[in-house]
Amino acid sequence: MTMNTLPIQELRTLLAAVASHGEQHLLEVESDLQQTAFLLNEAIEKLSVSFMKIHELIAQQHNLLMTSGQCNEAMTFALNDYEQKIGDEVNSVVTGMQFQDMTNQLLHRTINRVNGLKELLRELAEHGYDMDANREHNDIARFLANIHETFDNSSHALSGSLRKVVGQQDMATGDIDLF
Amino acid sequence: MAKTILAVDDSGSLRQMVAFSAVDGQDGLTKAKERTVDLVLTDQNMPIMDGLTLIKNLRELGSYQKVPILMLTTESSDEMKAKGKAAGANGWLVKPFDPKRLIEVVQKVIGQ
Repeated sequence: MTMNTLPIQELRTLLAAVASHGEQHLLEVESDLQQTAFLLNEAIEKLSVSFMKIHELIAQQHNLLMTSGQCNEAMTFALNDYEQKIGDEVNSVVTGMQFQDMTNQLLHRTINRVNGLKELLRELAEHGYDMDANREHNDIARFLANIHETFDNSSHALSGSLRKVVGQQDMATGDIDLF
Repeated sequence: MAKTILAVDDSGSLRQMVAFSAVDGQDGLTKAKERTVDLVLTDQNMPIMDGLTLIKNLRELGSYQKVPILMLTTESSDEMKAKGKAAGANGWLVKPFDPKRLIEVVQKVIGQ
């Protein structure tokens, strides 16, 4: 079979379909990530408030017992020991809770990348290049190369604008530099 | 004498750990102008105004030229630390922090 014209319309339809399907999936990804970030923030804020309150109440309980006059030397020693251990555990909680800040930044970086990817897909579907079915094959190849180049450039620009600000791989505490 | 610390962080869980706080750089700048504090502890990556911009703005205020400012952030690159130093930060602390170590550093910086 001889084709008199290149299947330009079909190519346009394919690009639009790729963009449309891709965007719908990315919208779901974005929605899930935002929901995850929201739930994490809510949970960690509630946990933080509760832990600080527990710490405060235990300190009050400790003071009440210590000032009651009913503690002998052994009890006083034990209570102080408990207070120290509770303080250490609360400190560990405060350190651990900071994962929320890091994961939140990572989630938002991912959401921004998803948004950028949606923009890239839109460019693919709404490209402004002329594409004439009667043009020579080489012209069509040049046209596709142009789309490819634009896509590449936009993709690099997106990566460049999404600087990674969280390098932590575990919950070990970070460095301290005083200038 | 009790010292006042302004903590500027968009992380709600961190703000709950201190009494005087702000949600971003702009809010921090407004609160710092309302009341001069003994130390500012700020995050870097926040909406509206980031930590480096906040530090530059604070250092332009007469009352904040000598106030210690510590950056408390997830960022750990030497490049960002150099920018912080150039902006006028007195120290750079990488999250997650250990509360005991943070208190030691704060006490050292404000001379207690």
